[in-house]
Amino acid sequence: MKKKSTRGAVLIGIFLLMVSAVSLWYILVPRERASGYIADLYQEGKLILSIPLSAVPEAYTFTVTGSDGCKNQVEVRPGSIGIVSADCPDKLCVRQGFLSDSVLPVTCLPNRLVIRLRPAALPSENDQEAVDIITY
Amino acid sequence: MPVRKLTALALYTTLSLTVYAVESMIPPLIPIPGIKLGLANIITLVVLRRYSPGDACLVLTARILLSSLLFGQAVSLLYSLAGGAFSLLAMYLTGRLLGRKMSFLTGAMGGLTHNLGQLLTALVLTATPGVLAYLPFLALSGILTGLFTGLAAAFSERLLPSHMRH
Repeated sequence: MKKKSTRGAVLIGIFLLMVSAVSLWYILVPRERASGYIADLYQEGKLILSIPLSAVPEAYTFTVTGSDGCKNQVEVRPGSIGIVSADCPDKLCVRQGFLSDSVLPVTCLPNRLVIRLRPAALPSENDQEAVDIITY
Repeated sequence: MPVRKLTALALYTTLSLTVYAVESMIPPLIPIPGIKLGLANIITLVVLRRYSPGDACLVLTARILLSSLLFGQAVSLLYSLAGGAFSLLAMYLTGRLLGRKMSFLTGAMGGLTHNLGQLLTALVLTATPGVLAYLPFLALSGILTGLFTGLAAAFSERLLPSHMRH
């Protein structure tokens, strides 16, 4: 019994270490930067808007309204995009700041709004997603 | 359920609700949805160790329902329930394998699976595979905070009065 629990502990420890190592590697290894990005806005999984960020001459804002009435104000700047105000309680989407690379999306969970950048060279973001799912 | 046990479990629910409330006062340090300390899990783990998985499930469900009623929004209820169910199951299985020792491993498994459950919920609710980009961040933070809550559960178990067990 004692031996079994020790072996279990070692297995679980190794498993957790491996998950941590893979996560750290994924977080720390820099991705190559593309020259231009396209911002994709998804609401409840549907692509509602694509903005080529390198073609934005000057900053402007617009409002995205969710199906249950949540509002997010999105600001587009030359080369970056972010949520500047929201009527959800925690405002995590605003705190996530402005996006200028494709590592992490900006997400507003109450509004089910996801903003993601993809390199302008990539034709479809679905290919990119598929790679992420397979490697994990 | 004997009155003595009912009272003790109610007390544990109050404890974990208090811990949850205090933690929600701390502003999020990392602006990624889902990354938090998860201190209320300490109480769940203590109940799981002192009582049974069923009792831990009762305390956890009561805490989640009450906390989302008092502080949260309707959406956060789904995330908490999914994360809570995943982590309770994982901690029960890990605890069965390890016994009472190595509580930090049990906690780390709980933290990891809690965040996985939340990410799955986010995946279903937003229907956007892009949220999977959070996976490494959530996995790492879940393991780190889980190590801490696991240790804290073992230490606080020693300090809690011995009549608060069955």
